[in-house]
Amino acid sequence: MNLSLLIIIPLAAAIAVLLSRNGQQVKWISFLASLAQLGLSLFLLSAFMGERANGNVSQMLFEQRYSWFAPLNIEYYIGVDGISISMILLTAFVVLAGVLMSWNVEKMTKEFYFLLLLLSLGAYGFFISLDLFTLFFFLEIAVIPKYLLIGIWGSGNKEYSANKLALMLMGGSALVLVGIFAIYFMSGIHSFDMVKLSQVHIAIEVQKIFFPMLFVGFGVFTAIFPFHTWVPDGHSSAPTAGSMFLAGISMKLGGYGCLRVATYLMPEAAKEYAPIIIILASIAILYGAFATMMQKDLKYINAYSSVSHCGFVLLGIGMLTKTSIEGAVMQMVSHGLMTALFFAVIGMIYERTHTRKVEELGGLLKIMPFVCSVLFIVGLCSLGLPGFSGFVAEMTVFMGSWQNPEMFYRVATIAACMSIVVTAVYILRAVGKTAMGPITNEHFLQLKDAAWNERLAAIVLLLGIVAIGIAPFWLSDLVSPGAELIVNKIAGVIIY
Amino acid sequence: MENISAQITQVAPLEHYILLSAVLFSLGVLGVLLRRNVIIMFMSIELMLNACNLLLAAFSAFHSSAAGQIFVFFIMIVAAAEVAVGLAIIVMIYRNIHSIDINELSKLKW
Amino acid sequence: MNALLVLSIAGLAALFSGFSHNKKLAVIVSLLGLAVAFTVNVLDWNTAVRYYNDMIFVDNYAIAFTGVMALTMLLIVALFVDYKESVEVPNAEIFALLFFSLAGGVMLVSYSNLLMLFLGIEILSIPLYILAGSKRHTLTSNEAAIKYFLLGAFASAFLLFGIVLIYGVTASFHIETIAAYIKNANGQPPALLVAGMFMLIGGLGFKISAAPFHFWTPDVYQGSPTIVTTFMSTVVKTAGIAAFYRLFAYAFPAITAEWIPTISVLAALTMTVGNVTAVFQSSVKRMLAYSGIAHAGYLLIAFVSISSNPASSVLYYLIAYAVSTVCAFAVLMVIQHTTGSEEVDGFKGLSKRSPFLAFITTVAFISLAGIPPTAGFFAKFYLFSGAVKAGHLWLTIIAVLNSCIAIYYYFRVITAVYSEGTDSTPVELGTVQKAVMIITAVLAVALGLFPEMIISLL
Repeated sequence: MNLSLLIIIPLAAAIAVLLSRNGQQVKWISFLASLAQLGLSLFLLSAFMGERANGNVSQMLFEQRYSWFAPLNIEYYIGVDGISISMILLTAFVVLAGVLMSWNVEKMTKEFYFLLLLLSLGAYGFFISLDLFTLFFFLEIAVIPKYLLIGIWGSGNKEYSANKLALMLMGGSALVLVGIFAIYFMSGIHSFDMVKLSQVHIAIEVQKIFFPMLFVGFGVFTAIFPFHTWVPDGHSSAPTAGSMFLAGISMKLGGYGCLRVATYLMPEAAKEYAPIIIILASIAILYGAFATMMQKDLKYINAYSSVSHCGFVLLGIGMLTKTSIEGAVMQMVSHGLMTALFFAVIGMIYERTHTRKVEELGGLLKIMPFVCSVLFIVGLCSLGLPGFSGFVAEMTVFMGSWQNPEMFYRVATIAACMSIVVTAVYILRAVGKTAMGPITNEHFLQLKDAAWNERLAAIVLLLGIVAIGIAPFWLSDLVSPGAELIVNKIAGVIIY
Repeated sequence: MENISAQITQVAPLEHYILLSAVLFSLGVLGVLLRRNVIIMFMSIELMLNACNLLLAAFSAFHSSAAGQIFVFFIMIVAAAEVAVGLAIIVMIYRNIHSIDINELSKLKW
Repeated sequence: MNALLVLSIAGLAALFSGFSHNKKLAVIVSLLGLAVAFTVNVLDWNTAVRYYNDMIFVDNYAIAFTGVMALTMLLIVALFVDYKESVEVPNAEIFALLFFSLAGGVMLVSYSNLLMLFLGIEILSIPLYILAGSKRHTLTSNEAAIKYFLLGAFASAFLLFGIVLIYGVTASFHIETIAAYIKNANGQPPALLVAGMFMLIGGLGFKISAAPFHFWTPDVYQGSPTIVTTFMSTVVKTAGIAAFYRLFAYAFPAITAEWIPTISVLAALTMTVGNVTAVFQSSVKRMLAYSGIAHAGYLLIAFVSISSNPASSVLYYLIAYAVSTVCAFAVLMVIQHTTGSEEVDGFKGLSKRSPFLAFITTVAFISLAGIPPTAGFFAKFYLFSGAVKAGHLWLTIIAVLNSCIAIYYYFRVITAVYSEGTDSTPVELGTVQKAVMIITAVLAVALGLFPEMIISLL
């Protein structure tokens, strides 16, 4: 199948949106395009599994390669393995839900949907790129829409948040850029081709300097401590779909980059710096969990718990075992779906009650049963109830971490485990307060339950969550060859 | 040319010309930096250009190459063009603010 | 070289077309002259002929930069068709002056003798002194003119003294002879020559507004009529940088150890000063002036890594910069005309008033900030990659961090464009104006996606 379709469809849709005449056309074009993307991703999944079943064992499938800029050996080089496919699926689900959740955007509808599509274009391009330049290109393309989505359609202190987000993410990508240059010039083969680069050995001195740059650079996107501060501000100011995309897709760009670029291409340094990564990840997990307890605003609650959950991704990567890396990828997918759903629900509640403060909400279950049921489900998923994706992913990370027998790793693992209890308590309390109890405001009684688009968005995301929760093995099977490759590379490295 | 250069170097060694020009040039620089009257600043710049002319002529004689002296003519022409434009600008300003003190012009600030 | 003749004649023709009653004639003559100049210029491609007793050497480098300048000026002249800001000088005279200035620029990119470098700079600058002061009764314009004139002449004197010193040592004004002399000196050039070289750096640094010689730039850019500012920040900057690069690539490649440290410091200083000061500007015009300083700083990186940064990276960068700057200034002119202000606040509500303009502004500023898929991004990427290859890692890191600062102030304009404004009257655009904006915006994206079109030229 032709992978380029994944970026051609959003591009074509974005142009069509610009040319369309009214809001209705814009919405339907975006909806159809994201539906087509979801279909395409599912088709890609089945085609990929089919190829694998037929015994195609090459590392990347469906490759395409065109020379883009010969003097620097830059290629438009794309291809997928299991890890990228799981990220593509995540993107497709979240984009569809995000588009549906934005149905009521009245202000500059055309521009809003254009930016959503552009953001999804960046994300798809990022996940399928196998060339570092192409990868960086799409990474940066995904930043501008975020800035504008928050800066224009946001609420509260939106300009401050937008600037903070853009500056921190651009700072991160600046580090990434330097790292990419270093890999290009110091690997000795003058190539941006990740597959080729993974087969050469980059000098350990070079790795030691540039691995931290790359890891922190990508880490900023996935809220590595102490560069997580854009997350709460950005999420709380963003419009609903903006938050969904930000937490569901954008933060995963970072995790994927940490894994695919930093760890995979510089395994020795990854091994070297693993303790630091683990410490930072544990701090993020604990800090996020405790900060969640202090929050009174639903969006802040979810933003801080996102910091905590993304800590698991970094923890899984830092542990460097096959299972933990698998877990990290699963956590990315699971958290992406879950947090997008959470933000969607918060958006639904906010749109109706015009408040996100937990103390001002109450008794909504009777008024809007659908919204509150989803809120319950997502709350349970967030605290890691078996049967939902969160449980599977976090369990995998823990199991993988536990395989490291040393004391240090065990302590970090236990500390991370404890945080789940903390989050669970708090989220349950917030959800309970919102849905049950006395109705805090007379005015709530006139509110309506979710509309068709909101229901559809929630159902799409729920499907994904439950599919992973009930049958996690298809996902872990999909991811494990990719994870194995990374672990083997590290193991191989340690030998020589 | 041989002849002239021999005569010149007899009268004064090349170092003296370099030194004289450098002093003249520096006086010009100081004039531009320290004075606030636009005309005087302008004259100081002319002094700098003439220091260059002097040095060019000296080098030209020293190297026995005519190129330096030809360059001097070009500098004179350019200086004349600059005078024409510069004085016009100064007159324009004088008409507007009735002063040619550079400190009076401070509309633009960062 | 034919381009030089055509430009001089076109300048005169434009001047005399002012006698005609047809107001449009001057524009038409100018556009025609530029098109012809560009064509005859391109016809010389790959011939590499030396003209005027080897005073001018028209190689591909010269042709490429001449072409860029001619096309940029073409776009700027086209903007005149719908230009509304009151310029008290008739259009015909402005065009003539621009043509003469451009002729100086052409000399600057094709000289092979330092005499032509000096003359080129003067011919480039003197018309600009007049243009900067072309709003005769406005004090800011007066001030811009006198500042530009005094400091410009001051810098020329330094440049001249540098040339004289080099002549004193090498007995030649020809850059290749000078290079040969330096090569024979076996890495130990006489002190007088090195002193001369540093004075050249100072003089040329002034022309491209490198810190610490940049003080005139914001004042002059802000005080001049916007359309003249556009010319200064694109064509003049292109000429200055190209002349600078030509000098160091042809005359001083053998003593890189002498000047690389200085230029590195200049580059770091220039981009930092430009970017940091730009953050505090409320006037977009002044901000663009500082951003121009910052871009000069990035370009200086190309000099430092001259061994691995071919002229093509400078060419590409300058094209990317010129295209986005013309685009940004074209929008700024409209804003100035409709709101009477050049502040960032003037951009507020633009997305309501004209979605087209809002989109164009976004593209222009994103390209200036260096974000894909625009040309600004690839220009920086290519330039920085050359710097890393030459081993200037710290300079690259400073540059990359600077680009992050730059994002802040460029994005401020973009945010303003999409925020609520008080004024909601629709903006009306002239056809030509619109065409220029579309062309520059499309170029900014197209060149970003297909950089090889330009880079394979040199």
